[in-house]
Amino acid sequence: MKKLLVLAAIVTAPLFAQVEGDIEVPYIPFEVKMGKGFGEVNANCLTCHSFGYVTNQGRQSKAFWAGKVKKLMVHFKAPITDPDAKIVTEYLYEEYGNGELK
Amino acid sequence: MKRRDFFKTSIAGAAAAMATSLEAGVTGQPIDNRKISTIAFPEKRPMITYSDRPPLLETPRCVFANTITPNDAFFVRWHMPDIPTHIDPKNYKIKIDGLVKKELNISLDFLKDPANFEQVEVTAVLQCGGNSRSAFKPTAGGIQWGHGAMGCAKWKGVRLSDLLDQAGLKKDAEWIGFNGSEKAAYYETPNFVRELHLDELDDHVILAYEMNGEDLPYLNGYPLRLVIPGSYSDSWVKMLSNITVTNKYKKLFFMDIAYRVPDNECECETPEKKAKKTKPITKMNVKSLIGYPENGTVLQTKSHVVVRGVAFDDGHGIRDVKISIDNGKTWKSAELDDGKAGRYAYRGFKLAIKPMKFGKMTIMAKAINKIGQEQPLAKDIKWNHGGYKFNGIDVVTVDVV
Repeated sequence: MKKLLVLAAIVTAPLFAQVEGDIEVPYIPFEVKMGKGFGEVNANCLTCHSFGYVTNQGRQSKAFWAGKVKKLMVHFKAPITDPDAKIVTEYLYEEYGNGELK
Repeated sequence: MKRRDFFKTSIAGAAAAMATSLEAGVTGQPIDNRKISTIAFPEKRPMITYSDRPPLLETPRCVFANTITPNDAFFVRWHMPDIPTHIDPKNYKIKIDGLVKKELNISLDFLKDPANFEQVEVTAVLQCGGNSRSAFKPTAGGIQWGHGAMGCAKWKGVRLSDLLDQAGLKKDAEWIGFNGSEKAAYYETPNFVRELHLDELDDHVILAYEMNGEDLPYLNGYPLRLVIPGSYSDSWVKMLSNITVTNKYKKLFFMDIAYRVPDNECECETPEKKAKKTKPITKMNVKSLIGYPENGTVLQTKSHVVVRGVAFDDGHGIRDVKISIDNGKTWKSAELDDGKAGRYAYRGFKLAIKPMKFGKMTIMAKAINKIGQEQPLAKDIKWNHGGYKFNGIDVVTVDVV
């Protein structure tokens, strides 16, 4: 049985525009699967983007998830260490994989 | 309890994507009828919600029964988590620099003054290159959008060419870079910058400050965004801060790596053998969408039903929309609207039908543009790794009782 966790709010971006008063982009509590490596996901991924951004990519292969993590490191300059990248990829494949390695 | 319901719907979406990802690579219909969130974003009514950081919101299908997409239901797609927290319209300035004779620093008031620039309007479709991505099998990379990462609005602003004229391009000017104000969590992350060649920028390209008669909503790029009619939305930079003219193309992530399709005739590849050469997605292909009825709509037998929807392409204009209610055996031309909104706008279509048989009935819509390009059946659309440019014939299945 997998435990479910609702993530605590991390950062919300307040907006002020032609709208009245202070406005914030709402926090959406996306469902999170508590699996091995979620601590690393929380520390390395969710500082920059929501969990919905992850799960709404759909079920994907291990190669896909590894590629995504690499893209964020190489092109988006996310400071993820190689050991953490491996743990995050394993988590994503385990919890949101499609059963295919490639 | 309401939040729980929302979770369930996002699980359902993920489950649907999973169920299809292992099938052979035949393109189907995108995931449809996703639940609308109970949580509304600033200036928006509740929409289909994929992410809050960055905000990713989809317009539900029923909105496409009309040719103008209301601002509060217009889809939202950002790339970076950090959207500016303050935009003071009194102090906001757009800067034009680089290979220009005179650097410009223009306020909104100056821009909106007809004494300085002619104020122009264009009705144009804004569509994400990955709209309908969830149709592709195996699951293509990116947000698994249904049909609603698109909309059509009347944009008001000033011509980019007028602005560049006022700045005066230097002789060797060739590329125009557009910088948006969204920021990543790390300084090292590349900014969302687009570069367009001067040849791509005709008089239809505008810097818009107004959408459907109102200020742009914050989440659609307030206070100023690029509008490039006929092109996919990845080039329509939001919250413009800076326009830089150069003579050399700079390597950019969002130009050179993201938003590209295979550079071959079918724009296709396989997961095992990805295309080596790619090209930017640029112009939109011909597409239509039924706004009413929707999947699962219950219709009475022998009732008078009007099928409504929208069709568009990259600006050639729509010649015909054909509807089939017998799984594609026979097709009938729908009635098109007067087309006065222009060739970049949604062309509205409608057709009266009368369901005669009990049970499931499919309604299909196929648009044909003025140069004879028509929508293929979904199954004939070949895969590409980014799941871009889906334009399969739309199919909705209704229940006739």
